[in-house]
Amino acid sequence: MKSLEELDIRGDLVYTQTHEWTRRTGDTAQVGVDDYAQSALGDIVYVELPSVGATVNAGAAFGSLESTKAVSDLYSSVTGKVVAVNETLSDSPELVNTSPYEDGWVIEVEMANPKELDALMKSDDYLSFVKTLAPIE
Amino acid sequence: MLRKTALNAIHIELGGELTDFGGWEMPLWYSTGSVREHLAVIEKSGLFDIGHMDLLRLKGKDTFNLIQLCLTRNISNLKIGACAYSVILNEQGHVVDDTIVYNLGKDEYILIVNAAMGPVVRQHLIQRNTFQNVTVMDESGRFSKIDLQGPASTVIMKKLLERGRGTIEGLRYFQFRGDYADPASETALAGNIPILLSRTGYTGEVGFEIVMPYDKVQDVWNMIIDAGGSDVTPCGLAARDSLRTGAVLPLSHQDIGSWPFINTPWDFALPRGEDGKFTKDFIGSKTYDAPSSLYTYPFCGFDPRKVEVCKASLLLDGASIGTVSTCAIDMAIGRVDGRVYSVASPDRPASFKARGLVCGFVRADRPLKPGQKVTLKDSRRSIEAEIVSDIRPNRTARVKI
Repeated sequence: MKSLEELDIRGDLVYTQTHEWTRRTGDTAQVGVDDYAQSALGDIVYVELPSVGATVNAGAAFGSLESTKAVSDLYSSVTGKVVAVNETLSDSPELVNTSPYEDGWVIEVEMANPKELDALMKSDDYLSFVKTLAPIE
Repeated sequence: MLRKTALNAIHIELGGELTDFGGWEMPLWYSTGSVREHLAVIEKSGLFDIGHMDLLRLKGKDTFNLIQLCLTRNISNLKIGACAYSVILNEQGHVVDDTIVYNLGKDEYILIVNAAMGPVVRQHLIQRNTFQNVTVMDESGRFSKIDLQGPASTVIMKKLLERGRGTIEGLRYFQFRGDYADPASETALAGNIPILLSRTGYTGEVGFEIVMPYDKVQDVWNMIIDAGGSDVTPCGLAARDSLRTGAVLPLSHQDIGSWPFINTPWDFALPRGEDGKFTKDFIGSKTYDAPSSLYTYPFCGFDPRKVEVCKASLLLDGASIGTVSTCAIDMAIGRVDGRVYSVASPDRPASFKARGLVCGFVRADRPLKPGQKVTLKDSRRSIEAEIVSDIRPNRTARVKI
């Protein structure tokens, strides 16, 4: 996996301890997997997505990522209703590896409580956090 | 402290994702990624460091007798220059390890065994040896082995052979030439590096295993990379695992191990004659008189989703009937209207896309039939799968070269 120096951690996003990023646009949150997680997992070959309209809860699993090595849960960073899922991942799951912050986004959530975002880590805090971690399995 | 092969520095240089494999620090994949590595072996070629495997060399007039006693395979028809897959059982009929046995001639044989198994198998053989004239040497530190696998491998090897180029022509699956320990080896690479060149591998694709003196392995690796150019891709253990699974080959201590070796897809390693009876006695053979209710089958699913081996149950009509020993994704295959095609299938429909299929092996307490639908269930999910007789179609391991 990438070294800390190679990691692409974006300043305009907030992060969970389970390595999801969140991008806010008004009351909508776009959620994806960050560079640390995609690099640690290796090639992503399948993404299990929720349906549009499903309810997700902050900290709860909403789907999974299948890498050649393992299966990993995807956790929502916020509570709310899924208003969009990235359908292109069904055909091209590798976008999670090649473009984790843009084309590889996973879901968009209409937030029930945007204040939940305040509890997430900003990029500096997140970088300090990943420095404390052993590589994820 | 993990042991390192002679190629460890190269693994790091290539961005290898390193892992502990049987006490060795080995690459799971390189920066290329395991999906492209898997596909490279089917479409062009892949190069694997197999330096963690062990090698025993047996010498003496009774070598044949000791091998006949301790290996399941009947080697009485194994010609000089040929090799065979076999398993080694204990008195309970459980697998100690699997091996490829090479007949070098002049009462000399080689056994290539798995990582860390050299001392174990050597001890096993010595303890059971009732013969006078045989020595079992563990040469694991003196040699190293790399595998070049895939359809481009033949052209690459021909370019590199300084001696014995003609030996590749017509070399058949499970034949080999040369001897890594003989300076006058029939097969040698540039700089007079003696090699044992074997048309084997563990990927299901055409290719070679190359055994050479330990201090030459970096040179040989670099030679192959230079000669192969874009036709050769360094590959890690993840691709090796998914390729061997698609080729219906077992992983020792996972798909075969400390339980009876019976009713498996690998029963060809047992010395059965046309009448079904054993053609020789061997350690473990008496256990086959007892009835067994253990059956191993390959399975193939319908998408890439996996379950966790060891923790997953095999369900038939909702009832648990066994376990899952290997669960991998063959990324070169996919289904069209239920039928499995590979990127190498000449008749694959235009709509075919290799999205990958989950596949592996299950152990059941009853016989199952190809085509039978089963469920694999772990704490996360249940997936549907089908018992099959084969997994990845259109493999090249047996093509004429």
